[in-house]
Amino acid sequence: MALYIIRRLLTLLLTMIIVSIVVFAVVEIAPGNVARNILGAYATPEQEKSMENQLGLDRPVTARYINWLLGSDWQARGAMGMPVREIVVEQGTQARYRQWWAVDEQGNLVQWKIAGQDLVKLIRQADGSVLEVPDNEAWKEGPDGEQFFWGVDTGNRIAKWVKGQGGVEYRLEYSGWIETAGSPVDYIPLSKGLVRGDMGLSLQYKRPVADVIGRRIQNSLTLAMLAFLVAIPVGVLLGLLAGLNGGKKLDRVLTLGGLVTAATPDFAAGIFLVMIFAMWLKILPGATVYTDASSVLSKPSMLVLPVLTASLVEVGYILRITRASVLEVMSAAYVRTAILKGLPRRKMVFGHVLRNSLMAPVTVIMLHVNWLIGGLVVVEAVFGFPGLGNFILNAALYKDVFAIEAGAMVLVVLAVVSQLVADIIYSYLNPRIRYS
Amino acid sequence: MTAATQTAILPPRRRQRFADSMRVVLSSRVAVVGLVIVLFWVVVAIGAPVFTKYDPSKDQDYKALDQAPSAQHFLGTDHLGRDVWSRVAYGARTILLLGPLSVAVAFLIGMALGLPAGYYGGWLDEVIMRLLDALMAFPTILLYMIIISALGASPVNVVIAISVGGAPGIARLVRALTLDIRTREYVSAAKLRGDSAARIMAREILPNCRGPLIVDFLLRVGYAAFYIGTLGFLGLGLPPPTPDWGGMVQEGHARMMANPWPVLAATGAIVTLVIGLNLFADGLREETMRYQ
Repeated sequence: MALYIIRRLLTLLLTMIIVSIVVFAVVEIAPGNVARNILGAYATPEQEKSMENQLGLDRPVTARYINWLLGSDWQARGAMGMPVREIVVEQGTQARYRQWWAVDEQGNLVQWKIAGQDLVKLIRQADGSVLEVPDNEAWKEGPDGEQFFWGVDTGNRIAKWVKGQGGVEYRLEYSGWIETAGSPVDYIPLSKGLVRGDMGLSLQYKRPVADVIGRRIQNSLTLAMLAFLVAIPVGVLLGLLAGLNGGKKLDRVLTLGGLVTAATPDFAAGIFLVMIFAMWLKILPGATVYTDASSVLSKPSMLVLPVLTASLVEVGYILRITRASVLEVMSAAYVRTAILKGLPRRKMVFGHVLRNSLMAPVTVIMLHVNWLIGGLVVVEAVFGFPGLGNFILNAALYKDVFAIEAGAMVLVVLAVVSQLVADIIYSYLNPRIRYS
Repeated sequence: MTAATQTAILPPRRRQRFADSMRVVLSSRVAVVGLVIVLFWVVVAIGAPVFTKYDPSKDQDYKALDQAPSAQHFLGTDHLGRDVWSRVAYGARTILLLGPLSVAVAFLIGMALGLPAGYYGGWLDEVIMRLLDALMAFPTILLYMIIISALGASPVNVVIAISVGGAPGIARLVRALTLDIRTREYVSAAKLRGDSAARIMAREILPNCRGPLIVDFLLRVGYAAFYIGTLGFLGLGLPPPTPDWGGMVQEGHARMMANPWPVLAATGAIVTLVIGLNLFADGLREETMRYQ
């Protein structure tokens, strides 16, 4: 068993590596310019080039992939001869900023900037203020006699300044374009990398993806759990009813109903439910609106329709599988024996049929986790539910590349891990499974 | 035998085979109901210009916005004054064209991967299967979302996304069937008479996978319609003003309180088509399983 889990974990690792390559390749190497997506159609070529340079998008693909997955901070020592550290700065109670600083020999946190022709070293003091010191001795001699310096700039990047030939840096702030002369000529954005929990900066929210995504994962998991809690008992119960009445009218009605609900696209089911319960009967809200901090459970009435929609498709599916499984068990020799020896029907159902016919639905439900997650994306879109699926959808529509990548990876990890857990639970439930 | 007599002989045999397969379809009531629903939409799609009075995108009547059904507009009008029935009818063309097309492309990719994986086995099989495992780890909608977000929303990209998403499942099915069929005697016979591997795969193995593959194809056309509708709803389908059912739902969703007709019509269209396709494929599957 332990060996089986270890082997599964290793395959899972391999799968995730391929998944990460696929996600990265599709999102970043695909036609369409990331910088142009960020800047919009009216950016000049210079502005675009500057943006690409600042985001590190002009680096080779493999280097970008490694930076994205494993981070770039450990490469800093090679470029500038000192390690870097990320700190979290709190302003008030809400605002938190992540800042990268270099650590010099004395253990001070330092950054650099250019003022006129001078290189200025910024030393962070214990109280959070910054001391500015001219640092012109730090310039190094390049092979062509140029004076250059690699350091950490104030924008969380390793930057290369060259004396006398500053690049022009364009930044798009809320107020508009900001043009700074005398800027670095090359940048490596600093990050810890996806595997260490740094998901990059969301271009849409202008905040780290990790800060935005946590609550949304929680909301989505809540929704998924509730949907499962509704769908499994209802689906199994209806499936049992249909199977035990095999061939009768009740069975036919339930089977057809199951087929129809399983084939109805999630968004169509959601819209029908909204039309019935929110527009016509006016008893339930047809959308979910939460203030930032409140938990989704604080307004249960808003959860009813999303949960119902998410479970409807599953109910149809579980019903059909359970029914097929019950019919199969009912025709087994041991059930015939039970009937022939005169066992009351109730005893026969609960003693023989029930346990044996629940195996198949359990398997299928567990193999279905991926599908349920896909359905959640759609349900969240219908109701504006603040979950992970809606987050990824908005990122996809906005072309918020780093958010898409991070969201996609989180969603795949959730899918793969729940699949693994399901497989392990299943192998406990069904000891006939061989671990090979 | 001359060419003329050959053509004279062939049609009756083909007619016989057609009659045989029709008998399978007709013996399942579920399949017949499904087929009728699907045929309804096929007829609407082909005859769209005949059945509609207005152009689906260009005829915008600014004096008749958001109208309920009337004699002029059988299903009402949308927020731009376009005739909803026209858009539904032309939208049937979109979904009935893109659905089977994307499944066909998916089948080509799936067969190209599954046949050699199953036939040769070994490291080739291992590599292909690991790759497919990774693709299958994605929740389907997520894969579609990132592909279309990267490539942009267009009919071609919808086909690309759906075929990439569907290919792994098909490849697995083809591989499993190949693993079974390659041990058969007629495959050994073909090997013995010196047929090339490609020829064996194409002429011996593939035709004998036909049955399950046809059922799978039909089921997948149902899924494809499901997902094309969903992508349209998510705003990742066809760019406006192309008449597209999912897109119509997306456009009307936010203004459903003011005018539910476009949403209701488009949603109803998608639901009936997808259910029809599913009933047809499902009935057919049960019927073929009964024969086996």
